[in-house]
Amino acid sequence: MTEPVTAHSPNNDKAALCRLVGVSKSFGEVHAVRDVSLDIPGGEILAIVGENGAGKTTLMNALFGLLPPDSGRIEVDGKPCRFRSARDAISAGLGMVHQHFMLFPELTVLENILVGAEKASPLGMIDFRTRRDEVETLLGQFGFSLPLDARVSTLPVHARQQVEITKMLFRRAQIIILDEPTAVLTPAEIDGLFDMLRRLRDSGRAVIIITHKLDEVMRVSDRVMIMRNGEKVLETATRDTTRDRIAAAMMGREIASPPKTDCRQDAPVLEIENLHVTRETGLSTVRGIDLTIRAGEILGIAGVAGNGQKPFVEALVGLTPVAQGRLALAGKDITHASVGARRAMGLAYMAEDRMQTGLATDGMLWENTLAGRETNPEFSHRGWLQKRNIRDDARSIIKEYDIVATGPAQRVGDLSGGNKQKIIVGRELSGNPHLVIAENPSWGVDIGAMAFIHGRLLDAAKRGAAVLLVSSDLEELFALSDRVGVFYNGKLNGIFGRDELDVYRVGAAMAGQTSGETDDA
Amino acid sequence: MPDRKRLTMLALLGVVVAAVLFLIPSAPDMIGAFFDGAFGGRRNFNFFSTLSRSSLIVGMALSVLLSFRAGLINIGGEGQLVLGGLVSALVGIYMPGPPLLVGVLALLAAMLTGAIWALLAGFLERGFSIPLLVGSLLLNYPASFIASYLVSHPLRDINSGIAQSHRIPRATYLPRFEGTILDYGIILTAIVAVAVIIAERTTVFGYRARTQGYSASFAQASGFPERRMYFQILAGSGAIAGLVGYIAVFGIAHRYVDGMLVLPLYAWTGVVAVLLARVNPLWVPVAGFLFAALQTGAAGLERSAGIPREMAQVVQGLIILFLAGGRHFLKKPGGTTE
Repeated sequence: MTEPVTAHSPNNDKAALCRLVGVSKSFGEVHAVRDVSLDIPGGEILAIVGENGAGKTTLMNALFGLLPPDSGRIEVDGKPCRFRSARDAISAGLGMVHQHFMLFPELTVLENILVGAEKASPLGMIDFRTRRDEVETLLGQFGFSLPLDARVSTLPVHARQQVEITKMLFRRAQIIILDEPTAVLTPAEIDGLFDMLRRLRDSGRAVIIITHKLDEVMRVSDRVMIMRNGEKVLETATRDTTRDRIAAAMMGREIASPPKTDCRQDAPVLEIENLHVTRETGLSTVRGIDLTIRAGEILGIAGVAGNGQKPFVEALVGLTPVAQGRLALAGKDITHASVGARRAMGLAYMAEDRMQTGLATDGMLWENTLAGRETNPEFSHRGWLQKRNIRDDARSIIKEYDIVATGPAQRVGDLSGGNKQKIIVGRELSGNPHLVIAENPSWGVDIGAMAFIHGRLLDAAKRGAAVLLVSSDLEELFALSDRVGVFYNGKLNGIFGRDELDVYRVGAAMAGQTSGETDDA
Repeated sequence: MPDRKRLTMLALLGVVVAAVLFLIPSAPDMIGAFFDGAFGGRRNFNFFSTLSRSSLIVGMALSVLLSFRAGLINIGGEGQLVLGGLVSALVGIYMPGPPLLVGVLALLAAMLTGAIWALLAGFLERGFSIPLLVGSLLLNYPASFIASYLVSHPLRDINSGIAQSHRIPRATYLPRFEGTILDYGIILTAIVAVAVIIAERTTVFGYRARTQGYSASFAQASGFPERRMYFQILAGSGAIAGLVGYIAVFGIAHRYVDGMLVLPLYAWTGVVAVLLARVNPLWVPVAGFLFAALQTGAAGLERSAGIPREMAQVVQGLIILFLAGGRHFLKKPGGTTE
């Protein structure tokens, strides 16, 4: 998997396909995008990077006609244009692949590609044969292979992404914007995607990827624009910069990822024996997991979304019944214990779905920090809340976790993503739990909050907690975990020790290949 | 921001109400008639009548509030109310014993009946996956038909020309405040209101229920005893509705008259009052009183200006429309920040 160092040089002499001139957009008091100018020439892959809330998505939505800018203008082919809708943007040659695919799962690939561009005859008939030929020519041109008659619902994620891209190409998109395109892919699939993007670039199109994964920026982009607080802070050819410099520009300061300390192998905290979970829908299942997590250990769980990690975690927390097998927490059987009982025994759970499960966003900050601890004698007495203690506790979490909030009565939904996540982390770690289950704890938060959360998880492990870290971010897993288990199709497809962690080995396991040697738990 | 929205909405509401009133000539007289109907009358008769009505509407609103606050869409208040009223009337009529005991037993029987009817909807949801919204709504119909049947046929007061039960013994009536038509039922409603407000704000149960209303999956992941609370809340909600039925029978009608709890739309007015109060316990009694005044005022308007009292329901409908639609229309166009 060697990659050619970007041999292609951005051709800056060529007129820009599209340019943004002094674009600003604010929402109330918040300047989401401030005076950003950007030339987008063809034949180039541009990465737009920045922390969450830096204005990347707003800028692209402005370009794509989804949000009219407050000031500034957008020019396509040298002509200023004002898009009223995505449809205008598409007909001007822009295409956007959203993070969540906009496909009809029950229609075929061909039908999905044609939707919106089907060119019906006056009688409403679609000439499928001609259109099919056109699509096939297009696919051949870029060396894509897609089963045109397969239903989209039967395709793996990376193929769906390819359908989205083909859809854009079929609409003659010259500028293709991809929002976080690698979030759902395995490392090998990411390579495939990048090949595809390079082919698009070489055909003279402009490719824009919005991302916060710096290694991908370095690998695939020709030029990088870094945004912070709605402003463009740096725009440079990728080969003229480094990962660290980009990170520093994103953050406004240098960051250091927390050093990994060796955690001792200690008493088992969570013992999982032959765990099976059957979901009501019968779709996603866990099919026989054996695993032991020890005190002081951080065990990472990797896997492409949908391979059983979610029901696995839900079964551990007690949200989904265990169909078969046994769970023990600190030596006591919890196979059929309620969530409340497990929490009382020292389980902490940082849910992936922050907005619904991790937090009650309509509630006040203290209502969120109290959850799961409300029967603690400090916080209630014979069923009556001890409001003063509860508020003091919320204040101390605000302080300790550096949460930007007005106080315990602040409505949580109004806080930024990083602060929301800190509330969860603060609440869950405040009781000195024995077992911490963290599901994508730093997903979507800025680098500063991420480093903070990582530090807290490491502290918890150092203190003797067992940490189960389920993450879709391999970098995160590799930085924190003592061991990484890989889920594939409801089973553990290998456990890798710290010295065996390698993107391609883990990636192969995520894709379902069985490696000969797996470390024994 | 929400405050500004709410103000805008209230302003729009005001405009609509004003338009309904002022489009018609002789509006000032009518406004006078309306206020007289709601608050005036000889020796403030109409004011007490508004209060009496609001003891029912606020009661039903509290029943709805309990469920809605916890995120349970129980709209079966009508059935729980009807059966509560009916059973309390039957206890009052057929149960021998000292009047005070009979009265208390009737009260308890009404609450128990309301609770059982609400729990039934809960079992339908948890046992047979019939959404609470649907189950509780549909259980309203058998409840009122059962009541209709009983007072039309087997238990009918034959001497009267209409479908109604016998009268309960005079000694078991809820007493009235001296010199008014207002009965002590309003005290019961007030007790329930205070209890609900205190429970919501200061107890672990109230905290859990409220938080569950914000997000059920949050409550589950926090380890709240979700299932137990589900049934407790439904039972409480139904018990309050049953209690309101008892007040209507023992305080106002002194018997069960067919349709007496259904036609005035007490249960539905309670739902609307809760929505107007934005599910905030402190505002629910105010909103309930407002609707009671609207209804008695409209009755006054009918008497003196010949405007059908159904206009009150038109205004109520408009309020719902603005509550439901207003939020949508006032939403800022375009997306949100990242």
